[in-house]
Amino acid sequence: MALPLPPGLTPPEIAFLCEMELVTVIPRQRLEGLELLGGRLPPLNPPHRTPLPLWLALLLKRQRRANILPPPWLAPHSLTAILDHETNKEEGFSPPPRLPPLAASSTALAFSPPFLASSTAEAAPDALPYHWLEIGEMLLEAASDDFEEPDSVRKLLRGLREVRMAKLRKGVELLYADGGIQLNGVGAMEVSEGRAFVTGVIDNLRKIGASREQQRKDRDREDRENGYPSTADYDDDEMEMQ
Amino acid sequence: MALQPRIRGRQAHIAGPTFLAYTPNGKKLITVGTDNFCRVFSTGSDDEPITVDDIQESNHAIVAGNGFFITGSEDGTVCKFSLEDHKLEDILVRTTLPVRDIALSPDGNWVAVASDELVVKVVNTKNMSQIQVLRDQPRAVKHVSFDTSGSRLAVSCTDGNIYVYSLSSEEPNMIKKVGGMIKSLENDAEASSKVLWHPDGRAFATPTAGREIQVMSFSDWERQRTFKTGHSADITAAVWSPNGALLATTSSDLNLCLWDTKSQKLIKKFDNMKATILSMAWHPTENILSYTNNDGELFIHTDIVPSEHASLLAKPVQPAPFFHDPSEGRSGAPNGISNGAKLDLPERRARRNGTPDSLDDILGPDGIDDEDMEDFVIDDDGAGYAGLNGHGKRPNAHLALASPSSKRRQYASSAPFRPQIHEAFQPGSTPWRGNRRYLCLNLIGHVWTVSQESAHHTVTVEFFDREFRRDFHFTDPYLYDKACLNDNGSLFSCQPHNGNAAMIYYRPHETWTTRTDWRTSLPAGETVTAIALSESYVVVTTSTNYVRIYTLFGLPLRVYRQKSSPTVTCAAWRDWVLTIGNGPVGGDGKCQLLYTIENVKRDEVSQSEDIVALTPNATLSSVFFSDEGDPYIYDSTGVLLTLLHWRTNGQARWVPMLDTNSMARRSGGGKEESYWPVAVAQSKFHCIILKGADKSPYFPMSILSEFPFQIPVTSAPKKKKDDKEKGEDEMDEDDDERDKAEDTTSTIYLEHAHLLTSILHAQLTSTLSHTRPSPEQNQRLTDLEFQIDKTLLQLLGQECLAGEDRGMRALEVVKLMKNANGKMLDLAGKVAGRYGRDVLGEKIRDLAEKRVVGLDEDEEE
Repeated sequence: MALPLPPGLTPPEIAFLCEMELVTVIPRQRLEGLELLGGRLPPLNPPHRTPLPLWLALLLKRQRRANILPPPWLAPHSLTAILDHETNKEEGFSPPPRLPPLAASSTALAFSPPFLASSTAEAAPDALPYHWLEIGEMLLEAASDDFEEPDSVRKLLRGLREVRMAKLRKGVELLYADGGIQLNGVGAMEVSEGRAFVTGVIDNLRKIGASREQQRKDRDREDRENGYPSTADYDDDEMEMQ
Repeated sequence: MALQPRIRGRQAHIAGPTFLAYTPNGKKLITVGTDNFCRVFSTGSDDEPITVDDIQESNHAIVAGNGFFITGSEDGTVCKFSLEDHKLEDILVRTTLPVRDIALSPDGNWVAVASDELVVKVVNTKNMSQIQVLRDQPRAVKHVSFDTSGSRLAVSCTDGNIYVYSLSSEEPNMIKKVGGMIKSLENDAEASSKVLWHPDGRAFATPTAGREIQVMSFSDWERQRTFKTGHSADITAAVWSPNGALLATTSSDLNLCLWDTKSQKLIKKFDNMKATILSMAWHPTENILSYTNNDGELFIHTDIVPSEHASLLAKPVQPAPFFHDPSEGRSGAPNGISNGAKLDLPERRARRNGTPDSLDDILGPDGIDDEDMEDFVIDDDGAGYAGLNGHGKRPNAHLALASPSSKRRQYASSAPFRPQIHEAFQPGSTPWRGNRRYLCLNLIGHVWTVSQESAHHTVTVEFFDREFRRDFHFTDPYLYDKACLNDNGSLFSCQPHNGNAAMIYYRPHETWTTRTDWRTSLPAGETVTAIALSESYVVVTTSTNYVRIYTLFGLPLRVYRQKSSPTVTCAAWRDWVLTIGNGPVGGDGKCQLLYTIENVKRDEVSQSEDIVALTPNATLSSVFFSDEGDPYIYDSTGVLLTLLHWRTNGQARWVPMLDTNSMARRSGGGKEESYWPVAVAQSKFHCIILKGADKSPYFPMSILSEFPFQIPVTSAPKKKKDDKEKGEDEMDEDDDERDKAEDTTSTIYLEHAHLLTSILHAQLTSTLSHTRPSPEQNQRLTDLEFQIDKTLLQLLGQECLAGEDRGMRALEVVKLMKNANGKMLDLAGKVAGRYGRDVLGEKIRDLAEKRVVGLDEDEEE
């Protein structure tokens, strides 16, 4: 069956997953704790800060029932520092936030982005989490009044995105059959954005490589059949390659 | 008054812009104009002035000091002339573009030069090789002005901003860019944007784009009162009288107005000017205002202040027109967060201000002969700082502003001995800033008041929970200065004024009957020092050291005199009332603070006159009860302390819960911020972060921040952060080393966690032993016990991992366990077994057996 969608997650899907991330809100209204399928939500009691999933935070924000506290890495000075790091360092992306130490009990689930508190007010200020681009965009769109300088944050986010996408594209130059680029610290949205391009390039490279591979195989077979290397052909090959 | 004798203009120069300056002693008046000479007039004589030749043409500025004067010319030279032989002494500095203004520092040593160049040069008048260059302004500068101390320079730039520089350090640095005060003017415009420092040194004024004179306080950069001048054209010159009691303004609409500083009312208006006045100067001592216009004429206007107001000129330095003069009673202001001593007694405050009925007021201007101080300080640019006040002394208000504590200490040291008393304050309130202040700020909401032009305030109460409680706001003719807010209602109090006694006003938020708000007044002469509101009582401490307790319906319940006096503050929670007063003098010459906690309902005193433990020279910033009902204090060194076991008499002790100086966010250094305490709730410290040198929050309210408790145990948190940062950089190297570092930090972390949970456990246990525990509280207690054991178990794991030689320590860790569910010791044995510490495991089993047999084993040790 032919899927109409390209492989991998589409941007709306990623944004949807990102809405499970926890953010810190300052409620402006009381709300009892909610028992939801996805887990228990803490009661809201103004003005105590409460971690809530992004989807609920945005909902409350739109209804003016809460203020969202932007995570510390969305502050202009941390973004500036990260941007400096990105522009000054030619290779590699800025490192992702450090994982918390594994829980002592072995039954605990492994940590992965939507279940890490990487976007609450207590998050590390010096690293971009997995969903940085989506969270940044969504918060700026829905809660720009909770930022101190929304415009400069917007500018810095755009700058970061350009720098990192440029790096990602530049990494493609290194892509050949056994090549690769390190994607440490690349966000979900960037992977999704790069996926079409990178897989396309690799696919085409593979196709180009395939004909040559085929040629080589043919020659090898001929060699085997003839029992000696056909020098003339070999020369031809070299000519072609030059 | 009689008609003024017609003031005759003297044609000092040919028609064109003309400027003037008085020498500091007022004997000489010097004018410059477009032609190449300047004239030196002698005060009080009608003789032909002395002409000084060999001077540049088109001079734009002049200042005069003792025995010299300095001119600034359009060709860019700044020349110094001697007043004795009237000869050119020096060319101090040359600029490439025309000089627009020059200013002389009060000591006459420095001259600031504003030109069309982008930089301002500050040149030493005696040694012209000493030059400071101020470069922060992006465009040409129109005016420069020294403050009364000479350590700060205000630069009015043509981009419409004022740049204030501090010159006291080796390198001049800009301390503030003030926008929106002055108009953006052309370099050569006649209109003025000059900064006029008020002689009392605490404020300055500038002409605004709206042709008004706006006063701004220097300490907090807040707009204060304005002089609504009513000029129909831009103001071209304005100047304070030498004592700051009067302001003269003039504009190109050919009016000259005199204003009373105190009331900002017009005193006299002269509308018969023939040409635009460009420069004005008050005579330093006499009732003379001299001015020059753009037609080359000089007017020496004697007796310019009408005789009915002439006494104003003779007064000592008058305060600048603040909305709320910070030097007046700072009642209820917990502003000790950052600065040191708060020790002004009420009666001392009054004396320091300008005395309203001083001897000089009564005797008139001739009370003291001013002959012997003729040559005292210079009033060169008309800023009036030369002001000798009525007592023949230099005003020192600016000194008081700069270092209030040092001055007061001086004052105290001259007296034989004077204990320093902790000033009374109302927790959660801020001092006036501009025309508004917070009366109360807590987790329920905030109450703030705005003083209006007429003599009333408007009080606004805002809640964090907008839906649960409706915000309200009312006009307040009583001038409430203290407020409390809780879930049930709001409480206000005002000081006696206009013959009314002090009053308390309680307003419940909502009731099931009609609203039952009530007012009650205190006996005459009694003022309120602090108020507190709990869920069942209203507490008022007063200046007569009475503690007055009312019920929520205004029924007076108790009145007693506080043992420690004068009172400082009070707090209340349910039936408990905490009062703090000044006790005996401690080692640092300050009164120790004593607190008393009492249960009103049971009429029991649980702690009587116990000490509020503060470090020397620290002051109390706030006192409040947490949501769990434990008393907390926050002191000026930034430490939050709680009182443990306070319900048992004699058992109370202060435990630090958070030292804001050692928080991880401060570890980077360089971050200058302080924390304004709001509350403790859910085991977190809620505060407002104040950036820089701010001392209290202002409008709009910034977001409340919350920090978890962190008992100052070691300086580890800092190290941990460093390690973390290092770890980031060297992500892939040295895994071993990092693991090791992580081990020690996690041990420290666990040790801290154990200490903190034990304290919280002790706190909760003591609460529960005196109240009927709710199921949640019981649950919390068991949770805490479990947490302690869990932390200890983790700690045990760390110890076992560290090596055999740490066995003793490991056993000690096990001994500390509460063993709440009876399985912890078994688990501990298993942990020891897993790491192969058999001896330790044996000992743990022994311990477990002993515990099972009987608990008396605990008491043996």
